[in-house]
Amino acid sequence: MKTTDVIVIGGGLAGFMAAAVAANRQQKVTLLTYGSGSLPLMSGTIDILNAKAPDAAIKNLPAHHPYQKIGLKNIDSAIKFFCDIAAQANLPYVGRLSAQIPVVTAVGTLKYSCLVPESMDASNLINKKKIFVVGIKGLKDFYPSMIADNLKKYFPDKIFDVAQIDLKLLGGRDITCMDAAQILTDNEQTLANELKALNATDNDAIIIPPILGVMGNFSRSVITTQLRADIFETTCLPPSPPGVRLQRAFIKYLQKSGVKIFENSKVVRGVVEDKKVTGVVVENAVREKIFRARKVILATGGFYSGGITMRDFDNPMEPIFDIPVFFPTGAENWSNQQLFSDKPQGFSMTGIFTNDNLNPADENGKILYENLHVVGANLGGCDKIFERSAGGIAISSAYKAATI
Amino acid sequence: MEKATVVIIGGGATGLGILRDLSMRGVKALLVEKNDLVNGASSRYHGLLHSGGRYAVKDQEAAKECIIENQIMRKIGKSCVEPCGGMFTRLDIDDEAYEEAWVKGCADSGIEATPITLNEAFKLEPRLSRKHVKSAYLVPDAAVDGFRMAWQLIDSSKRYGGELKTYTEVIGFDSINGELRGVKVRNQFTGEEYEIGCDIAVNAAGGWAGFVGKLAGVEIGVQPDKGTLIAFNQRIVNHVVNRLHKSSDGDIFVPHGSITILGTSSMSVPNPEDTSTSREEVESLLKIGEQTFEDLRDFRILRTFAGSRPLYIPPGGAVGRSASRGFAIVDHEQDGLKGLFTIVGGKFTTYRLMAEKMCNQICAKLNNTTPCRTAEEPLVEEVSQEDKDRAKKFFPSYGTNLAATRLGVDRFKKVVERLETDPESRELVCECENVTRAEVEEICKDDTSFIVNDVRRRTRIGMGTCQGNFCALRAAAVFADMGVESTAKDSLTRMREFLQGRWKGIRPVLLGRTLRETEMTRLIYELSMNITGGAAQ
Repeated sequence: MKTTDVIVIGGGLAGFMAAAVAANRQQKVTLLTYGSGSLPLMSGTIDILNAKAPDAAIKNLPAHHPYQKIGLKNIDSAIKFFCDIAAQANLPYVGRLSAQIPVVTAVGTLKYSCLVPESMDASNLINKKKIFVVGIKGLKDFYPSMIADNLKKYFPDKIFDVAQIDLKLLGGRDITCMDAAQILTDNEQTLANELKALNATDNDAIIIPPILGVMGNFSRSVITTQLRADIFETTCLPPSPPGVRLQRAFIKYLQKSGVKIFENSKVVRGVVEDKKVTGVVVENAVREKIFRARKVILATGGFYSGGITMRDFDNPMEPIFDIPVFFPTGAENWSNQQLFSDKPQGFSMTGIFTNDNLNPADENGKILYENLHVVGANLGGCDKIFERSAGGIAISSAYKAATI
Repeated sequence: MEKATVVIIGGGATGLGILRDLSMRGVKALLVEKNDLVNGASSRYHGLLHSGGRYAVKDQEAAKECIIENQIMRKIGKSCVEPCGGMFTRLDIDDEAYEEAWVKGCADSGIEATPITLNEAFKLEPRLSRKHVKSAYLVPDAAVDGFRMAWQLIDSSKRYGGELKTYTEVIGFDSINGELRGVKVRNQFTGEEYEIGCDIAVNAAGGWAGFVGKLAGVEIGVQPDKGTLIAFNQRIVNHVVNRLHKSSDGDIFVPHGSITILGTSSMSVPNPEDTSTSREEVESLLKIGEQTFEDLRDFRILRTFAGSRPLYIPPGGAVGRSASRGFAIVDHEQDGLKGLFTIVGGKFTTYRLMAEKMCNQICAKLNNTTPCRTAEEPLVEEVSQEDKDRAKKFFPSYGTNLAATRLGVDRFKKVVERLETDPESRELVCECENVTRAEVEEICKDDTSFIVNDVRRRTRIGMGTCQGNFCALRAAAVFADMGVESTAKDSLTRMREFLQGRWKGIRPVLLGRTLRETEMTRLIYELSMNITGGAAQ
């Protein structure tokens, strides 16, 4: 079989981004995915770091932190590249590395992120007099009164109102945000008609679940011009339309850029010759197949996606290349007493250690393979959920690995 | 002042059994519990309805009580018992002489123990170790759902006028001239303190009986003995599988619906509130468990949990595994406080018998001659086929039966009516355990629902495969909307507390696929929901 330039293993945010950046640089790319990736689970925002000014905070991170290996310049370039891909799919993102944007969550808190879909940017809420929280009849997982009650704590001087509109969803199985978004795809007017009954003005904001289509091309302006009020989407329980929009935007871009995507391709092991990775072995129901490349990017994720597994205590593994995995030893370091804690969770810091080129290293810091790069949730040394860096590390490590 | 003839302290199986028994005999009884019902050993256990085989060698009196109560429970609590049967298996490393003594002990205690060939055993339990299992017997063990049993006991008690207050802690006793006049209590949420007048109080606080005794100035020999258990996400066994050896740790597997519970350890602890579990305890249970089932570690562990057996220690008596599983009734008139009783020790399987004996003494004092009928009358009426058929329009039939027995006749009817009239209420709040919004709403309105965990214990939301990932948000929202108690409104605290409750049992078993579920929980509630509400620092 022909040797390609780059093989990317993994169909999550990091894998897509790595494949996109490499393809953009005229590399021949093969993307191997298994399962649906973690994007449908994601809120759609790209969180960089839990800090008022992430760019300044990143400089102060410890040396072993993935961001220190990636470097600010690459983070910045990754953000630009990412926004460009999203914009091409009519999925505009707003934000920058030096500030945080508030987003309304499905429980009525605000979450903060550097990079958010324009439809979720709630910065303007502060300037509004009245806030409508609007649910959809028959839509599960969206509870307007809970959201309004909790949001009041952030905005005690605003008037809150809850309402329900009917998109005729009832009658079959349980309806999720994805179902509602599917119905509203290319169908802005239906929603606009329903929302007119609120009699909202330009002093008002309307908060709805993330149902503005499953593609990036939903035109919010159709609604805002007719209603005059601003309309914002919240986050939601998975499957999450904003995550799916992003997934589709990437797939469209990758297909256009000539990336060969092989779905349902479970990579079972690497092919190593002369201390160099020359390919990977993919297993499907009936046979094994070898894919060869000059460079391999490992974006198989952490515990959630199976990029790291652990059958027995104190023995986490990277199942494809058997790369040594860093982890905090002992029960007391493995997890915190509180699930939602004021410090990182040890188990979430588990992952692979690398050099500045994101090549995996062994326990002694010796580089294992110079043409294998590790990106995204595979990287160890920080709790990406606690520090709200999962999205940022995914896109920026992918950017760096693809441009080396 | 509020008044009852008898105040029962402790909402475990024993206390609820006494409430039911007294109510059925026409005695005005009120039960107070400092937490939610069955929060102690009555739910933190195997869920094993003993045949008595476990005690056939060491304690034949207990064994005989077990087999009799086992038969009664199957009759009166039909929908709480899964008559899966039990198997005792001796491994190559176990003492053969014990097997002989056990066979004789079962015969002497009236427990039918049928020897089967190894081939038969492997056919019935395909995962048994071919290498280690050397002999096998069938016994009439069964699985019992402690939660469901409790709710049915309450429904039965209420039908006869029994009352109860949860989250109501006893803080003292009121007596005059050595005669009890009332019980002082505190509401755990509001802090309000008040007295409930009574002629008789029963200390049925299980592991906490010693603390309650102290409030009355009496010494009670109870030793909390912690047992840790593991719940697996699969049905690994079809029968209750016991090791045929001298009772020890980690030697019983009990199937419950789609899961299996393995346990338990035995460790004396100073405080029954200590329900902590550790990785070491889990490891040691797995090590013993995999002697019987070699591929045990390939199954996903859902969670681990622990409870404290309230072992009765008579002055100078043995502790731990050597302590008797029998029970004792103390009339504290001997200690100078007329009107106070303590009932302590025993086990879930025999709770009804314990309650009967306790109530016989109480009724003698009250000159009440009504006989005990708890062994004859079923706990609840059966839900009619007509109501089940109506429900089947919205549920799979498996879910219908579960909901019907969980809710009982009256609430089930209300839930079905709601499902019929409001299509939105048909959505599943908990997909893992098939719980509809209509059912959650109904339980949220209950006067014993103060936090989402109370709703969980009654509906089983969050107890299945995903351990609350999806239902935490939904349940907290529905509870905020429908709950009658003021605690319901604080949805974020309720949601966090609910997930933290799940976390407690997940933490010591955080490996394998459980790690995936936990990362998903954090992805949803920390990343997507910012559940702690914090701002960027």
